[in-house]
Amino acid sequence: MRLLKAPDMRPVFNSEGLGDLMNAFLLQYLPVIIFIGVATVLGLGFMIGALVIAPKAPDTEKLSAYECGFNAFDSARQKFDVRFYLVSILFIIFDLEASFLFPWAVSLFDMPNGGMHVAFWSMVTFLVELGLGYIYVWKKGALEWE
Amino acid sequence: MTIDLVHYLTVSAILFTIGVLGIFLNRRNIIIILMSLELILLSTNINFVAFSSYLHNVQGQIMAMFVLTVAAAEAAVGLAILVTFFRNRGDIAVDDASMMKG
Amino acid sequence: MDFNLALHLGLPETILAVSSLLILVFGAFRGDKGMISVSALCGVALIAAAFAAAFGHQGAAFGGSFIVDGVALFAKVAIYIAAVFIIVLGQGYFDRVGAGRFELPILILLAALGMSLMVSAGDLISLYVGLELQSLALYVLAAFRRDDAKSSEAGLKYFVLGALSSGLLLYGASLVYGFAGSMNFHDIAQSATTNLNVGLIFGLVFVICGLAFKVSAAPFHMWTPDVYEGAPTPIVAFFAGAPKFAAMVLFARVLQTGFAAQADQWRQVVLVLAVLSFVIGALGGLMQKDIKRLLAYSSIANMGYALLAIAAGAVGIPALLIFFVLYMVDTLGLFTVQMALSRKGEPVTRIDSLAGLSKTNMPMTIVLTILCLSVLGMPPFSGFWAKYFVFGAAITSGLWQFAAAGLVASVVAAFYYLRILKLMWFDVPAGDMDKSPLETRWIAYAAAAFSFPVVIVFLVYVYPLAQSAAQGFGS
Repeated sequence: MRLLKAPDMRPVFNSEGLGDLMNAFLLQYLPVIIFIGVATVLGLGFMIGALVIAPKAPDTEKLSAYECGFNAFDSARQKFDVRFYLVSILFIIFDLEASFLFPWAVSLFDMPNGGMHVAFWSMVTFLVELGLGYIYVWKKGALEWE
Repeated sequence: MTIDLVHYLTVSAILFTIGVLGIFLNRRNIIIILMSLELILLSTNINFVAFSSYLHNVQGQIMAMFVLTVAAAEAAVGLAILVTFFRNRGDIAVDDASMMKG
Repeated sequence: MDFNLALHLGLPETILAVSSLLILVFGAFRGDKGMISVSALCGVALIAAAFAAAFGHQGAAFGGSFIVDGVALFAKVAIYIAAVFIIVLGQGYFDRVGAGRFELPILILLAALGMSLMVSAGDLISLYVGLELQSLALYVLAAFRRDDAKSSEAGLKYFVLGALSSGLLLYGASLVYGFAGSMNFHDIAQSATTNLNVGLIFGLVFVICGLAFKVSAAPFHMWTPDVYEGAPTPIVAFFAGAPKFAAMVLFARVLQTGFAAQADQWRQVVLVLAVLSFVIGALGGLMQKDIKRLLAYSSIANMGYALLAIAAGAVGIPALLIFFVLYMVDTLGLFTVQMALSRKGEPVTRIDSLAGLSKTNMPMTIVLTILCLSVLGMPPFSGFWAKYFVFGAAITSGLWQFAAAGLVASVVAAFYYLRILKLMWFDVPAGDMDKSPLETRWIAYAAAAFSFPVVIVFLVYVYPLAQSAAQGFGS
């Protein structure tokens, strides 16, 4: 198997043309900054929009803790249903398996032709295994709330 | 100051120590032990990724993926065992886990 | 293409992996009433894998991360056969206590798959993945009786300490990787000879600690008595044998392949572990009142002897293989006897309850007598031969002081087996025993028959096999 070179993650420092290199280096992170900007603008926009547009008529009923129509009768820091644990267990497992897909998807087309076939089919095998696990979980009734 | 390999190793060693101490010094409940175990695994992940980047060798990153997966599986199994334990005892305090001694 | 070769080499694992997935789906559709058919299918898969391993090729695949040599094949066959017996015992046991679930044989299958990855591990990745596959399946198995408080406590303790030991091992592996620059054991060996540094030694120490936890060598043995007492008995019979065999082969491979040049350094550590194990195993067993706790201390002592074989170096490898096969049969027999005995539906757990067994259940008394004599090392039973080979290897490589210490420890340990013999043959019975279940009776008879005289025939054929299997190990 051909080993992939790990990308060089160390920042480049060089006395000559340091400014240019730094700019090139920072430019790679431009999309991230744009994302952060969009997220900030969107989040603030909704909050400010709600403050400005929404009607405000506070009373005690509205300000009390909302408990599905009941009065709040207990602390929120209570033992909670064991079924939540089941959901979280399943979430942990199936969520993380997806992380195998990212490196695979990024490097699949950089593989040599023979390697590409192997890589493709090994991921298909993996997904089939995951699917069988999913069928098992489903048949055991772990996905039903009641 | 540049951040080099030693810094990563130090962070990871600190996290590892916190994880191990968290298991041994913890007197409260077992969820905290599970969190400490995760901390141990993730601190070794820092080691693997740092070494991988330093050595320009991709194997460390592959290992990191496997460790992540194993950590998830371990958390799932741990939570499941914890739930059966809770159902039998009605409590998850560490001091209670001592039916068997000798 | 070398992918085909890899498939050939990995045939036993492929059989186990594919069949475990298919049987899981099959079981999900059949439900728990289909447990007997699931057990049968898992047994067939294991036997098929054992045949594939017995007639398998040797070589290395996947860039050296999967090694199939004689030792690996030998260990695999032994592990698969042990797993088949555990499935048979587990099927009967869980049926009787009413906790039968079809996942049980599948988990045993997955644990066996993990073990066979462990014995074939050629680099740190396959070491870790195999170890975790085995451990995760075993954690669940320990807590398999969900309604039993002791079983879930045993599962929890095993999980916490097992996960901690995996963490230690992994941290060590990360240091070894970083300072040796490679995951592969051969590359690690090269780098360790040319450029041995503190980081590498540190990593090695962590790896040794993690593996010592897994084989329950003292001073990392604390979990063993508790887990053995609480976990369901067929599962404990599994714990005591196959996983420790796999971990011990892995131990030998890491030390003798990855750190072959540092033999003088790690030999001291292994010898300390070995001596502590057989001393603590012998002394700790003296005060036990519970049969399974006693067997736990006995297994700790036996791990000391196995570590002595590793410390002996290359000559110790055939001794290690033979030792483990004989030890596995003995422990399987002892735990089966414990399962076979019950009084008014309550399983016999205390040693005192064995009093006067010869008056109520003669066949089991004879079986237990043979097995006790075997474990305490009386010739011509199998336990004697196991120790004979290990001590022989230790003396050959100049570790005669440690062999003598082991001999003394086994004399001390003999005391608690003699106590059982006295109780059974000369004391007054406390009440009638129930009739033993069918499969436990036959497996117990078979184990006793193996202990003597079958072992003689076995050694004549298998000892040369073990010797040729160990040829070239570690190079």
